[in-house]
Amino acid sequence: MSDRKLGMLIDLSLCIGCNACVVACKQENEIPLTKFNTWVESFDVEKGAGTARANLPKLCNHCKDAPCVTVCPTGASYRTAEGVVLVNHDKCIGCKYCMAACPYSVRWVDDGTGEVHKCTFCYHRTSEGLLPACVSTCVTGARMFGDFNDPESDVSKKLKAGGGGDVLLSDYNLEPSVHYIGLKDIEAMPVASAVVHGGNVHTPYGGR
Amino acid sequence: MVWGVSISWYLFLAGLGAGSFIFAIVSGWKNPEAGKVKFAGMLVGLVAVAFGTLLLVFDAKAGLQNPARFFCLLSNPTSVMSWGTGLLSVFLIIDFIELILLGVKKSTPKVLDWIGVVTALGVAIYTGLLLGAAAGFPLWNIGILPILFLVSAISTGFAAGSLAGRCASSEQLAHISFDHKLTIWLPAVEAALIMLLLAVTAGTTGSGAAAATKSVAALLSGSYALCFWLGLIVVGLVVPFVLEFLAQKKNSRSAIPFAQVCVMVGGFILRYLIIAAAVSVVF
Repeated sequence: MSDRKLGMLIDLSLCIGCNACVVACKQENEIPLTKFNTWVESFDVEKGAGTARANLPKLCNHCKDAPCVTVCPTGASYRTAEGVVLVNHDKCIGCKYCMAACPYSVRWVDDGTGEVHKCTFCYHRTSEGLLPACVSTCVTGARMFGDFNDPESDVSKKLKAGGGGDVLLSDYNLEPSVHYIGLKDIEAMPVASAVVHGGNVHTPYGGR
Repeated sequence: MVWGVSISWYLFLAGLGAGSFIFAIVSGWKNPEAGKVKFAGMLVGLVAVAFGTLLLVFDAKAGLQNPARFFCLLSNPTSVMSWGTGLLSVFLIIDFIELILLGVKKSTPKVLDWIGVVTALGVAIYTGLLLGAAAGFPLWNIGILPILFLVSAISTGFAAGSLAGRCASSEQLAHISFDHKLTIWLPAVEAALIMLLLAVTAGTTGSGAAAATKSVAALLSGSYALCFWLGLIVVGLVVPFVLEFLAQKKNSRSAIPFAQVCVMVGGFILRYLIIAAAVSVVF
């Protein structure tokens, strides 16, 4: 067992919704059109008397208690010693049970092969000591990546300074490896517009 | 929803086939002379479950293109789908062996009958567990769905088995009555379970609350309301209940085949709605 626990920390106060991470990910991982390993949800929120723009990057949360790994009938979905959830495509039959089980809805099917894909934390890069493409391209440094178990790592220091950060769907107790700073603040503010993914309306607002 | 209508067909056929097998076995126990009815019910069980399984295979496109990968299907003991693969395999083998034995006019061993019944119950229940294990959909309550699908499996399976038995030999079927008391109350039990499912779903708290409300609203008053009220409740539950009730009162079972067709239509609509109206926590 590795004593490393790889994870991502996203400071939402720094994210400007530029979608550079989304483009970098698509380039790096050769993601087909209409499919995404990561995306940014941008929407207006009511903040005091005014309005603010919220940008919320999403990706596979690499849960410690990963439902996709639990339900995968062939063992294609697995978790590495460093806590990265991956798919062994040589075992994937495309039953899509993992997609149904993932409460974060981060998995997608390749229309050609029928195999299921997801964010790998750029395992081909990170296992060689590089950063994931989305992190290394992030223009504001909103995305950070590193070893959550190493108290001297940048993510650990920032996580400590940020009070431990928040996770998505915390009541599901899946122990995700993606933490956010400022998530609770955004979740507390009422949504006041459509939610867009890279300029396309994903969730309409008030029928528009 | 990641699963399409072929998965609804599968869930329906697996339940129906398992129920039909149980109908055939119990018919054979109660009425040993009703061999044709037993054979017909088992044939329906085999064909329905085999066809349903084939739908799964065709839905799993990556496996279809690389069939050797299907051999990995039993490799994860925590996966309900792995359990299901085992149950389906054992069920199909037992149903096939029993059919062969009946075909060569041999009696089926009681032990095999019992293993078959337990496996069939497993098939019916696991289809509910399969969905229930997917925590992202509040509508898929793991406590209620397995029971609801079991009740629907018995309901649709007894209907299909009885209809097939009627085609095989209406004289033999006329002597089989163990199911009459059950089939009148199953729609009522199913209706209660559906209402319980909706009530529990509507009471979801935390991150799942919004998705839960959307699912329940879609069924009761939204885009699936017509299908729910007319298809599932009226055609699938009320009509069979009334017809079974009248049949017992008038002591005439002439309208029962129609009731049984309604039960099967309702059984499919139940699986269709449970899949189609499921809204994920993150949407």
